[in-house]
Amino acid sequence: MASKTKVEDINRNIYDIKDKDNYEFKMQKGLNRKIVEEISKMKNEPEWMLEIRLKALEAYNKLELPTWGPDLSELKMDEIATYVKPKTNLNTSWEDVPEDIKNTFDRLGIPEAEKKSLAGVGAQYDSEVVYHSIKEDLIKQGVIYTDMETAVREYPDIVKEHFMKCVPITDHKFVALHAAVWSGGSFVYVPENVKLDIPLQSYFRLNSPESGQFEHTLIIVEKGASLHFIEGCSAPKYNKVNLHAGCVELYVKDDAYLRYSTIENWSKNMMNLNTKKAIVGKNAQIDWVTGSFGSKVSMLYPMSILNGEGARTEYTGITFAGAGQNLDTGFKVIHNAPNTSSVVNSKSISKDGGACTYRALVRVNERAKGSKCSVSCESLMLDDISRSDTIPVNDIETDEVEFSHEAKIGKISDKEIFYLMSRGLSEEDAKAMIVRGFAYPVSKELPVEYAVEMNNLINIELEGSIG
Amino acid sequence: MDKLLEINDLYASAQNKEILKGLNLNINKGEVHVIMGPNGAGKSTLANVILNNPQYVKKSGKIIFEGENINDIKTNEIAKKGIFMSFQSPEEIPGISTLNFLKYAKNKVSGEPVKSFKFRFLLKKYIDELNMNPKLIERNLNVGFSGGERKKNEILQMLVLEPKLAILDETDSGLDVDAIRTVSKGINMYKNNTNAVLIITHNNRILENLDVDYVHILVDGKIVKTGNKDLAYEIEKNGYEKYKKVEE
Amino acid sequence: MDIKINETPVRTSRNFRVNNITINNIDIPNKLDEFKNIEIIAQNITTDCNKENINLVYGNGDVLLSNINKEKNSSLKITTTGNNKQIKLVYSFDDKNLNLVNDVFLDIKHDSNIVIQYCSNTKKECFHNGIVKLIVRENVKVNISIVNMLNNNSYNFDSIENDLEENSNLKYTIVDFGGKYSISNYYSNIVGNGAKNDLKSVYLGIDNQVKDINYIAHLKGEKTDINIDVQGALKDSAKKNFKGTIDFKRGCKKAKGDENEFCILLSPKAKSIALPMLLCTEDDVEGNHSTASGKVDQKSLFYIMSRGFSEKEAIKLIVRARFNKIIERIKDDEIKKEVLSQIDERLN
Repeated sequence: MASKTKVEDINRNIYDIKDKDNYEFKMQKGLNRKIVEEISKMKNEPEWMLEIRLKALEAYNKLELPTWGPDLSELKMDEIATYVKPKTNLNTSWEDVPEDIKNTFDRLGIPEAEKKSLAGVGAQYDSEVVYHSIKEDLIKQGVIYTDMETAVREYPDIVKEHFMKCVPITDHKFVALHAAVWSGGSFVYVPENVKLDIPLQSYFRLNSPESGQFEHTLIIVEKGASLHFIEGCSAPKYNKVNLHAGCVELYVKDDAYLRYSTIENWSKNMMNLNTKKAIVGKNAQIDWVTGSFGSKVSMLYPMSILNGEGARTEYTGITFAGAGQNLDTGFKVIHNAPNTSSVVNSKSISKDGGACTYRALVRVNERAKGSKCSVSCESLMLDDISRSDTIPVNDIETDEVEFSHEAKIGKISDKEIFYLMSRGLSEEDAKAMIVRGFAYPVSKELPVEYAVEMNNLINIELEGSIG
Repeated sequence: MDKLLEINDLYASAQNKEILKGLNLNINKGEVHVIMGPNGAGKSTLANVILNNPQYVKKSGKIIFEGENINDIKTNEIAKKGIFMSFQSPEEIPGISTLNFLKYAKNKVSGEPVKSFKFRFLLKKYIDELNMNPKLIERNLNVGFSGGERKKNEILQMLVLEPKLAILDETDSGLDVDAIRTVSKGINMYKNNTNAVLIITHNNRILENLDVDYVHILVDGKIVKTGNKDLAYEIEKNGYEKYKKVEE
Repeated sequence: MDIKINETPVRTSRNFRVNNITINNIDIPNKLDEFKNIEIIAQNITTDCNKENINLVYGNGDVLLSNINKEKNSSLKITTTGNNKQIKLVYSFDDKNLNLVNDVFLDIKHDSNIVIQYCSNTKKECFHNGIVKLIVRENVKVNISIVNMLNNNSYNFDSIENDLEENSNLKYTIVDFGGKYSISNYYSNIVGNGAKNDLKSVYLGIDNQVKDINYIAHLKGEKTDINIDVQGALKDSAKKNFKGTIDFKRGCKKAKGDENEFCILLSPKAKSIALPMLLCTEDDVEGNHSTASGKVDQKSLFYIMSRGFSEKEAIKLIVRARFNKIIERIKDDEIKKEVLSQIDERLN
C-alpha cells in the first residue's frame, strides 16, 4: 500500500519545529479598547471596520463562557497577546520571503503545493499573510483571491456587505473576541457562473508563544459559480495554552456550489474555538469535509443555513482524539426554506484516553416543508480508557419532513481482524487498515494529496497505541 | 509422501462449549481431503482452530504444520507459513480496494515486493478463468459484493497467495451450479503436487469435478469414518444417521 | 413561580433549547389533605408508609423533590413476600382530590407484574408530583407499567428511579397521554452484572400539550443491557422533547444499549425535539440509537383508505398499530382497554 510506505517518511517533528520568536511588534497582553483601536490603526482600516471591532469588544465583555462542552478554565484571556505582526510585508514572489519563514514553509511543503499548480497559495504566518500568489487565469476570470486586509481596503463594498453578517458578532464569546481583534485570513470572490475546476488552498499557522490566531475567511460564490476551497492547519508546539478563534463566513448564492475542506492538525496544546457558517441560496449547495486531528480542546461545529428553496448541504467529518485531547465537534444545519436537504456523515475515533464528542443540531422549521435530512454517526473506541459521546439535537417543527438519525458506538470487530490476519497482516496492520477504512468516507472526499496526508496522520496517531 | 498437516487428538471449544473432541487428521502434499458432517459437528470450528482464531480455545492436542507445532502461533504468521482459509462469510473491509489488498497481502505472505506487471498479468488471467467481473477488484474488499462474488474473491485470493494448504470452509454453500463449477475450476488451477486442499462442505456437488483422495465424516467433534469419494455419495443417499448411532 | 426542571445529564448549547424545560407561573400545592382515592390490588406484599426522605440521582429538581419530601399526601412502601401476578395501584383524581404529591417505594424480591395508573374523573386542573422508586433484587423479573391518563388541564411530574441487581430483568412500560404539561424523568441504575432493562413508552400529544421526556440509563455491570423504545404521535400544536441517554460506564464490558425513538407528526404545527445521547467510556460495548420523525407513512395511509377507511380512521389505525406492541405489555386488561379507547378519543 502506497500510504503505508510513506508513513516512515513523515516525521511529526516537521509540524513541531518552532522558529525563533521573531517579531517586530507584540501587543501588550490583555484586551481593551486601546488595543483594538491600535490594531485597526496599524492596518489603516476604514472607520466602519473599527466600529465593528468596538461593537464586538463590547459584546465580548458582556458574553459569558459557554456553560456546556469541554473545560475551558485553563484559558486565561488576559495572558494572550492577540496580535503578532511578522517582520515582513506582503510578498508577491517566493524569493522575497525571509529565510527563516521560508524554512518553516519548506518543511510544511507549501512551495511544493504551489509547484503542483494548485490554483493559488495564501499562506499565513503568524497573523499576517506574508506570502500570496494567484494564478493569472483566475484574475482573468474575475476571481478575487487575496488576504482579508487587502480586501477591506480594495473591495470595501463587498466586504462591508458580508463581513460578520453570516456570523453575528454576538453569536458567542469567542466570535465577539474574533471580530474585535481579527487579523489575516483569506478573501475569495467568485463571480457569477465562473466555475473553478482546481481547488484553492490556504495554510494557517501559529508561530509565537501565547499568541492567539484570529484569521477571518470570507468566501462569496456568486450565482451559478462553483469553488472548492481547502483550508489546512498545523502549528508548532508550545508549553503555554494557545488559542485559535478564527471565523469562516461562506456565502453560496443561488445555484452556486462550494466545497469547503479542512484538515486540522493543530499542535496538542491548542484551544481551537473556531466558528464556521455558510448561508446557502436557492438550489445552491455547500459541502463540508472536515478532519479534526490536532489541538488539545476543539469546539467546532460548522453550520449550514439553508435559506433558499432547494438548497442542499452535506457534511462529512472525522475526529480523532488521542491522549490529552478533548475534541468536541459536529455540525449544525437550519432548514429555513422548502425542499431543502441535508446529509450528515460523522465518524470519530477515541484512543489513549482521548475524548470525542459529536455535538449537533438539526432544525427543520415551519417554512421548510418537503425537506429531507438524514444523519449517521459512528464512533470507534480503541481502548477502555477513552471516551466517546454523541449529543445530537433534532428539532423538527413541520410534519412535511423526512428525518432520520442513526448512531453507533463500539470497537473494532474481532471477526474483521481475524479475516485480515488470515491473509498475513499483523494485528497492528489489520487494525490500522480497518481504522483507515472507517475514515475512508472522509478521505475519499479529499483531493489525493490531502487524503494521503490524512491517512499518514491516522498512521502516525495509531503508531504505538495498538498492537 | 511429504507430511503437510498433522492434527493429533485435538480438543477445542467456542464460547465455553466443547466442539472438537479428540480430532485426528493427516494431510500430505498433493492430496485433496473433504470433510463432511451434519450441522454443528465442528467443521467450521476445525478451520478456525487451525488458523488460531482467538474466539476458539484449544484445550489439548497438537496441530503440526510441516513438522512445526502451530498451536500458539498468531493467525498472520500461520498465513505466512502457507495456510489459507476461505471464509464462509468473508468480512467487508471498506476503505481499501480489493486490488490493493491483494498486493498488500501477497507482499505480507511472500515477504517479497510484488512485481506489478507480472502480478497484474496473473490477476487478469485468474479473473478471466473465474469468470469474475474485472471491475470488482477496483471496489473495496467484499463491500457490496454478492454472495457468489465474495466466494469467487476468496478463490481469487487463494490463487494469488499460493498457499501450501488451502482450507475451503463451505465455499460452495449458497452458490448456483455454474458458480460451483467455477470454484472447482479454481481449485483445479491451484492444485499441484506440492500443495494440498481441505474442503469443508455438506454438499457433494463441488466434488464432481475434483479428484478427491479422502472423504472424512465428522460427527460430534470427531472423525468417525474415512473413505474415498464413494463415501460422499453414500452420505448423499443415506445421510449421517448411521454415523451418529456409531457415536452413541 | 417558575421552575426549570428535567435537566439533561450532559448540557449542550443553550440555543438548542433542550437542556431543561421551564414551566412558568405554576402553583405548587402544599399543606394537603390526604389523597384518599387510591385503589390497591395485590396479594403477596406488605405495605407501609415511607418515612425517610428520598434522594434521587436525577429527578425533577430540588423544588419538586422537596415538595414530595415535605408535603406528600400519600406514601406507600411495598415489599413483596412472594410472586405477584398483579400489583395494581390506581390513583383517581376527582373534585375533592385534585392534588397528589406522593412517593411509591417498591422493593421487589419476587417476580411481579405491577401497574400504576393516574386518572382524572374531573375536568378541573389536577396536580401530580410523584416518585416511583423501584429496587429489583437479584434474579428477579419485574414487569411494571405506569399509565398517565390525567385530563389535559393538569400537571404531571413523574420521577422514576430503578436499581437493578445482578441478573435482574426489568420491563418498564410508560403510557403518557394526559396533562397540559407532562414531565417524566426516568433513571435506571443498571449495576448488577447481567441485569437487563427494557423500557418502552408511548406518548400522545394533542391541543397544546407539552411532553418533556428524559430517560437516562447507566450501564455499570458486565453484560448489562438497556433497550429503549419510544413511540409517539403529535397532533395540533402539541410539543414534545425527548431526551434519551445511554451511558456506558467504565467496566460495563460486553454491555449493550439500544435506543429507538419514532415520532409521527399529525399536524404542521406540532413540534418535536429529540436528543438521543450515547455516552461511552468503555470499548467492549455495542451502542446504537436511531430517531426518526415525519408524517404518517403515505403508502400505508393510501392502502388502508383503499379498503374503505376514512383518513381519520386510517391514521388512528396506523397510530394504534405502532403503539400496540407497547400497550400489549400492560398486565391489566381493563387498563389496556382504557388506553386503547383513549387513543381513539384523543385522535378524534
